Amino acid sequence: MPEQIDTRLLGREVTFGVSGPWLAYWLVIMRLVVGWWLLHAGLDKFASWPFDASWFIGGAAAGTSIGPFVTLFSDGILLSFTNVMIPLGQTLIGLGLILGALTRLAAFFGAFLMLFFYFINGETGGWSHGLVTGDLLGLLLFAMIATLGAGRVLGVDAYLARTAFVRDHPKLRYLIG
Amino acid sequence: MEQFNTADKIAAYLGGGLVVFGVVVIGLLEMLFGSGHPVDGEGQIVHEALVPLEVRSYIILLGLIVWGVYAVYRVVATTPEPVPAEP
Repeated sequence: MPEQIDTRLLGREVTFGVSGPWLAYWLVIMRLVVGWWLLHAGLDKFASWPFDASWFIGGAAAGTSIGPFVTLFSDGILLSFTNVMIPLGQTLIGLGLILGALTRLAAFFGAFLMLFFYFINGETGGWSHGLVTGDLLGLLLFAMIATLGAGRVLGVDAYLARTAFVRDHPKLRYLIG
Repeated sequence: MEQFNTADKIAAYLGGGLVVFGVVVIGLLEMLFGSGHPVDGEGQIVHEALVPLEVRSYIILLGLIVWGVYAVYRVVATTPEPVPAEP
């Protein structure tokens, strides 16, 4: 029997049924595939270490809309920080999504990362077939995973949510789930 | 019935509105009256566009920032609804 959704959107009553099992199923599939996307990207960079992002954040990013901010990280200690944080962040985001652990936190940072890829890749040629690219769709998937709390379905977060520590600190539910 | 509060509405309608406007609405207008491809394969900006690419980028970026700020606001300023006790 479908779960009934009753709410209001744009000032109108919205009522529709959602199949519970299919919703749970797609949340897991989405998490696994998007998680592997990032985990692979992160592990790949560690496998061919050292990783140098300077061509991207110093070269490609210059002249793009977000260039003035991103190029601040193109040399010195901020570049060294970025060179570690991109592969490490991608690996942790991927692991978080696949395991369903700290899913909302992982998805938030996934969307954050995609924001940079979307504009830098796009404005340097990626938008030659239009503005909807894999980076934008990835960003939207991360936002959906965070909004729906996909980690509660067959994920570590389902366990974490039941722990006394999380019950005593309800704000943590914004990071897990 | 759970509904959007004011902060939710700002994030959903302003953030989503800017993203949809920048990607979809301007995209359709460009297709009809301007340039369907805002950059070429080498990353050169196509200047025949109705809306300069930089302006379009900033509209989308602003929408994404609204969403991001809302996410941070939720974590910092609110507490999740209590979960119903398990049977």
